[in-house]
Amino acid sequence: MRQRHVFGTVFTLEALVAGCVFVVVLAVLARALVRRRAGDAERSERPRLEACYVGALAAFAVFLVAWTAWQNHVEHPAAGPKPLRVDVTGFQWCWTFRYPQSPDHRRVSGTCKGEDMPTLVVPTGRTVQLRLTSRDVIHSLWIPGLRYKTDAFPHHVNTLTLTLDRAGRWRGRCAEFCGQRHWTMDFWIKAVPAREYDLWAQGGTAAA
Amino acid sequence: MTVVPPTETQRDDAGRPVPPGSWLGWVSTTDHKRIGLLTAGTSLVLMLFMGVLALLMRGQLAQPEETFLGAQVYDQLFTIHGSGMIYLVMTPFALGLGVYLVPLQIGAPGIALPRLTLLGYWLYTLGSLTVLAGFLTPTGAHADGWFSYPPMADSEHSPGAGTDLWIAGVLLAVTGSILQGWAVLWTILRRRTLGMTMLRLPVFCWAMIATCLMVIGAFPALLAALTLLAVGRADASVFASNVWNIGYQHIFWFYGHPVVYVMFFPYLAAVAEVLAVFSGRRFFGYRGTALSLLVFAALSMSVWGHHMFATGQAANDYYSLTSIALLVPAGVEYFGMLGTILGGRLRLRTPMLFALAFVPQFLIGGLTGIMVGTPVIDYHVTDSYFVVAHLHYVLFAGSAFGLFAAVYFWFPKVTGTLLDEGMGRLHFWLLVIGTNLTFLPMFALGYLGMPRRVVTYAAFDGFGLLNLLAGAGAAFLAAGMTVFVVNVLHTLRRRHLGRARPAGDDPWEAHTLEWATTSPPPRLNFPAGRPLPPVTSFAPLLDLRRREQREGSAV
Repeated sequence: MRQRHVFGTVFTLEALVAGCVFVVVLAVLARALVRRRAGDAERSERPRLEACYVGALAAFAVFLVAWTAWQNHVEHPAAGPKPLRVDVTGFQWCWTFRYPQSPDHRRVSGTCKGEDMPTLVVPTGRTVQLRLTSRDVIHSLWIPGLRYKTDAFPHHVNTLTLTLDRAGRWRGRCAEFCGQRHWTMDFWIKAVPAREYDLWAQGGTAAA
Repeated sequence: MTVVPPTETQRDDAGRPVPPGSWLGWVSTTDHKRIGLLTAGTSLVLMLFMGVLALLMRGQLAQPEETFLGAQVYDQLFTIHGSGMIYLVMTPFALGLGVYLVPLQIGAPGIALPRLTLLGYWLYTLGSLTVLAGFLTPTGAHADGWFSYPPMADSEHSPGAGTDLWIAGVLLAVTGSILQGWAVLWTILRRRTLGMTMLRLPVFCWAMIATCLMVIGAFPALLAALTLLAVGRADASVFASNVWNIGYQHIFWFYGHPVVYVMFFPYLAAVAEVLAVFSGRRFFGYRGTALSLLVFAALSMSVWGHHMFATGQAANDYYSLTSIALLVPAGVEYFGMLGTILGGRLRLRTPMLFALAFVPQFLIGGLTGIMVGTPVIDYHVTDSYFVVAHLHYVLFAGSAFGLFAAVYFWFPKVTGTLLDEGMGRLHFWLLVIGTNLTFLPMFALGYLGMPRRVVTYAAFDGFGLLNLLAGAGAAFLAAGMTVFVVNVLHTLRRRHLGRARPAGDDPWEAHTLEWATTSPPPRLNFPAGRPLPPVTSFAPLLDLRRREQREGSAV
């Protein structure tokens, strides 16, 4: 849930700032429309004011770059010891989830047609490392509820590390256009308590 | 601004094999005004076509689980709409505007490299027809989006001839744009009239300098990317390793971000000219704006990786730094525009309405641009409807409003007659309502999880209402554009019949040299025997009026 939290913080701040800027510009526009007469119209430059303004803009840009870069690093900490590994493969047009650490290398897949959507089952509270790749074209694994996505490339592995602190079920989708059934490439991600997960990994069906 | 030849009052074709008024005279012309009109006119016609494609898409998405079009058709529509608007409408129109206006604004009798400019138009037209020819092939037009990443665009996953035609067509059209970019830049650098120093260039010319530098510097990267795609379609082993898949994205976006500013600066500058003229004062903060345009153009070539934050294969911190740094030059441009209208005596004619609406509407695109330039926000919203909303606020609510401001503003110069003011206002208000009703809900759709390029969505996704609103907005846009087309055709018809009221040389009390000649200007731009006003600043006609006023009051 770290991604959702970081996104929320940064998005709120940027949306607030953007809202303020928008209101200020609207106010200036409104003022110009209401007055509609020449004030000191001969003055076509105010270099000192402009220089201060550029200074303020640059200072804000420096703050924004530094702060958001820091947030980006908060969002991507080094994976702790022994994360749960899931190998995710995107293909036209569905997903396969493999659990190489489970006793019999459990594998979940589907066709993404109608109700046949694969479910990515993960334990709550434990770091999960998704190793993403693709069998054909570029896909992108997006979990809108977690406010995060990473592309799945063929011949390349991207990792996505997440920790879900509460049980629940979220929708996942493909975000990179990948052909005619791109829009059906949905899956579920389901977080269950650790014990329930262990049972499931050993071949149980309770959680899936 | 369709390509109806103006009625020639005197025939000056003595001894020439091709009469200038005939269609052959038009397509073989070396007159920059005609080439500019051909380019801009062709792109306006294509804009209407691309708009129809968009209407079909909004119809398909208006309600969940709709089967009106089907994925195969829908994928072609969003591909041709997107690539058409970018490669074949907004870029060529911007350059066509430059081809028409720049020589006039700098007091030159013609453009540098006129034959190359004409070749640019031909390549553009040929390229456009080639792209559209895809619809006639059995598998239909290209269907992989305007950036067409491999391996999706390779011959295995996109086997149709439509893709080959798309690659060839875009390559031709963009080559044409590059040629026109060189011609416009060379004209500004080499053909300025006496007294027209670089710091007396109109704002529009400065914007064209920055635009053409980006065209020259970045557009060849698209040619390289398309060549790579073509090679990979011939030899499948090219895309069998990651290096060219991710490499294509880097090369493509090296072009793909500067092009956004190529589709922005000329329209921004048109807005700047209109704001200054209809505020009755000199553009505010001229030097800062000129400098910021150059800084913008330079930075634009260092930001491409912000389109690739989610690939896990770009240096996100660096690209975020350069992208967010853009807010400084962008802020300077807003300083200039707002400073101009603040102390102005505003006249709310149609061009001014479009220019005023540009200011807050483009701002929405710009502010959300900073958001998508922030990696932690972009991870969520990239490839979603949030980005669709963002780019349409930049290119439609922003650039297209600038485009219409330019059309209403310069129409009397080009044709000698004004467009109808009432229909212009109706066009404006329909477009304002339609634009915001269509594109504002898309921010929410993206935030809620609707990916872009989906043919439909499930009922339980909850996207229905917002998409319905967007569909209603599209109907307003269609109505507005119909009014615009009627206005242009009606005015041209009246002019053809000789019933239009002549606009005169300078109907708006404008500032720059194109208004110091007849409307339309003669073949060599400025009538012989009528000296150009002295170029005393970037607004020579304003200076002239002020001087006359002072002398008048002194007597």
